Amino acid sequence: MTNSDNDPVLRRAIDDLRRLPPLDSEAVRRVVSAAAVARVSPAEDDDMIVARPRRSLTVWTVAGIAAAAAIVGFTLHGVWTSHSPAPVNVASSAPAATKLQTVDRGRENDALPVPQQFVFENARAHRVSIVGDFNGWGASKTPMVHTPDGTSWSVIVPVMPGRHIYGFMVDDSVFTLDPRAPKSRDVDLGTEGSVVIVGRP
Amino acid sequence: MYPRHLTTRFLQRPDPAVSIDSTTISRAKLGDIDAFTAIVEAYHQRCLRFARSMLRNPDDAEDMVQEAFVRLYRALPRYEERYRFESWLFQILGNCCRTANTTFRRVEARTVDDESVVERMPSSDMPGRQFDEEWSVAVRSALAEVPDYNREIFLLHYIEGFSYDEIERMTGVRQSALKMRVKRASDFLRRRLAPARK
Repeated sequence: MTNSDNDPVLRRAIDDLRRLPPLDSEAVRRVVSAAAVARVSPAEDDDMIVARPRRSLTVWTVAGIAAAAAIVGFTLHGVWTSHSPAPVNVASSAPAATKLQTVDRGRENDALPVPQQFVFENARAHRVSIVGDFNGWGASKTPMVHTPDGTSWSVIVPVMPGRHIYGFMVDDSVFTLDPRAPKSRDVDLGTEGSVVIVGRP
Repeated sequence: MYPRHLTTRFLQRPDPAVSIDSTTISRAKLGDIDAFTAIVEAYHQRCLRFARSMLRNPDDAEDMVQEAFVRLYRALPRYEERYRFESWLFQILGNCCRTANTTFRRVEARTVDDESVVERMPSSDMPGRQFDEEWSVAVRSALAEVPDYNREIFLLHYIEGFSYDEIERMTGVRQSALKMRVKRASDFLRRRLAPARK
């Protein structure tokens, strides 16, 4: 601050601008209600997880069950046959159903979500969930499952093709980025998140 | 040189920080609506004050404050405690206001010329209360003419009490540029409002 800023005219203007409006309890209530609704609703940019037209849903349901079975088999096979444990605190995400995507390719339901597997390796955590723009950043919406070897956590989430920001919530309190994924700064919120590009082959 | 008590008062941070403890923030991160309500109650007035001064259409202030709190609540799981909470809140609110300003068509009433401002200036022979009210209107009219990018930094620094260090982290603008913006806003206000003191 310079001496010139101690001008009495400016000082009085600042005093005036510092006056707080009265606390409006009704406005506070409206804000809290709006926020509560927004947090449990899909975000405007994650409408990929809302209901699809019935015809596509039927196709998706059949394909999804088949893909999920294939993914689970593939994942468990990988976990049980691995002889070199991965280092702690390493995470990754990968498209989960190549065959499923092949089934969908070329059809009119290109806007359907793609099952995306997220893996977070941390042997010390007691609870891990994934939070991202695809689940409204809900810390309790998508818990991850501990793998049988106890070193990592995994979950498969249907995500629309495109670019998404996400992270892992460890023990309900620590937001952790995926160390293997690129980072991006959210221009709106100023915080960093991990980036996953979901696409169809 | 101004009397010491005036200078000291001017340098004081406004509104001694409303204390929201880290436990409340942690609870809100997990979706505790009562904790979030405590946060809104603590900051709503300051946010409303900032938005009313920032927006080209002050009538939108309540909506923008609500939008900022909604975004904040959704993003809370990503909040990292090493950042000051209220810096983060005002960063979000500033983004909301900037977005609103770019979409709001500047109304004619806002683009007043110098002469009309001087005509509206309160004169010192008015009764006290009337002078205060007209002064307040004059201050807000003058502030509305400060360019957005100068006005925001001026408000963050002088009205909301953020240091230049904090504003640099919030906006990514270097401190030398921030100080220049504040100085330009201050000079503008001083020039506009000086007639009222004559």
